Amino acid sequence: MELITNLLAGLWESSGFTLLTWQNGVMIGVSFVFLFLAIAKKFEPLLLVPIAFGILLANLPGSGIMDDLTLSQAFGGDPATAVAGSHWYDSGVLRILYAGVKSSIFPCLIFLGVGAMTDFGPLLSNPISLLLGAAAQLGIYVAFIIAIILGFTPQEAAAISIIGGADGPTAIWLTGKLASHLLAPIALAAYSYMALIPLIQPPIMKLLTTKKEREVKMTQLRKVSKTEKIVFPVVVLVLIALILPSVVPLLGMLMLGNLFRECGVVDRLSDTAQNAMNNIVVILLGVTVGATANGESFLKPQTLGIVALGLTAFIFSTVGGVLLGKVLYVVTKGKINPLIGAAGVSAVPMAARVAQNEGRKYNPTNFLLMHAMGPNVAGVIGSAVAAGFLLLMFQN
Amino acid sequence: MKFTPHVLGIFTDIYGSFDAMDLPKALLVAIVGFMTVLLVLAMIALFIRLIAFIFSLIEKKATVEIIPVGDSDKKETAPQKVGVSLPDNESQGELELIGVDEATAAMLMALVSYKTEIPLNRLAFRSIRLVEDE
Repeated sequence: MELITNLLAGLWESSGFTLLTWQNGVMIGVSFVFLFLAIAKKFEPLLLVPIAFGILLANLPGSGIMDDLTLSQAFGGDPATAVAGSHWYDSGVLRILYAGVKSSIFPCLIFLGVGAMTDFGPLLSNPISLLLGAAAQLGIYVAFIIAIILGFTPQEAAAISIIGGADGPTAIWLTGKLASHLLAPIALAAYSYMALIPLIQPPIMKLLTTKKEREVKMTQLRKVSKTEKIVFPVVVLVLIALILPSVVPLLGMLMLGNLFRECGVVDRLSDTAQNAMNNIVVILLGVTVGATANGESFLKPQTLGIVALGLTAFIFSTVGGVLLGKVLYVVTKGKINPLIGAAGVSAVPMAARVAQNEGRKYNPTNFLLMHAMGPNVAGVIGSAVAAGFLLLMFQN
Repeated sequence: MKFTPHVLGIFTDIYGSFDAMDLPKALLVAIVGFMTVLLVLAMIALFIRLIAFIFSLIEKKATVEIIPVGDSDKKETAPQKVGVSLPDNESQGELELIGVDEATAAMLMALVSYKTEIPLNRLAFRSIRLVEDE
């Protein structure tokens, strides 16, 4: 009888019920909400499903799935979980996979896929788009200043502000290097706001532009030769690397992917980078980033601050792009529709689609999508350059 | 204040530690950072213009080279189209656009070609007109 009693007591004590904290409970609830949004509402499901499931896995008590048992904390875990004599492979499976985030392998591989999927044609045919992509990084620097005022350290402020670049891999890359303890809230904020772009941007676009500006029809883009498209990734990479070497890991992979796409002799590599490899990395990145959202470390007042700052960054980035669009509208005597400036936030192609939809609301015959793709892909380069600058300033 | 051009960590190189960060320095970092992004992307824009210019020169040169020397009469006349088939992606005839921009018209023409399975170079469009809903 005593054996059965002890056995039952042991089973109870080792079960998740006794280990479950209220923070874990809340985060499990959050993961359910995210799963609902992804599956039922289709909010960025490709990212939100793995992220939400990662949150769920990390908050199931007693699984040890995110424990780093190595004394050296090789995978960037909590020293309290270290066990003397443990090998690296004794650590939790998601913690081992998380090395891909810590080492920047996953964000860089995502950029390889993004490069293979990106057509720089609209950018090459209208290079002024690059200025719009640069102006739409304004939110990064506004959020940085506010974060410093709110008392975040410079490294934390830099990591939070990059949410304004609207580029998930860049945000993860920079945060992993400057403030990895904030990875979960920053990644979640970045991807959540990217999903909410159709709600965030239109009111700002409408507020800052006149009806006449929104109705502007832009002239047809010049045809870009294949050679130009091949030369662009190679030479631009060299140019940027000479100015800002810290950005090479991201832009190098972006341009390699793009070269795969444009050179026309490695279709298999281009296809793999765009599809199979990209999908695999999205799964690994999403689950491991989600798994960093452990209740004890995630549910803090500063998480709310990060979410608010992220939204501020997004809003000011949109403002920056649209305002420069208005300047270009005046300079070009009405040839540029300021709405395409909002696409400078690099969420590709969501932001370009928003510009297209807003343009059509005021002129049903307007076709802004390809014009908006220029600032959109310029935003990818712009946010990577901004991240490189912040890394140059603040990495230890 | 010292400035050692390390690869990374310029702020601590200059000010010693991150504790030195205050609002004026944050403003300075933000302004310099924003200007850096603008400058780098403006340089790329100039570079793209340069590439486009070089390629247009090369193309122009190639066009001039294929005109036979001493055949000055033919230079003045329009290209002879009779008996010459159009490129695969072009349609023939003049097209009137009413309330439709070129991009939309091109898309519609491509759609008609695709749906009817008639190549564009064998299709003739007279006009494309926007029909407003009643």
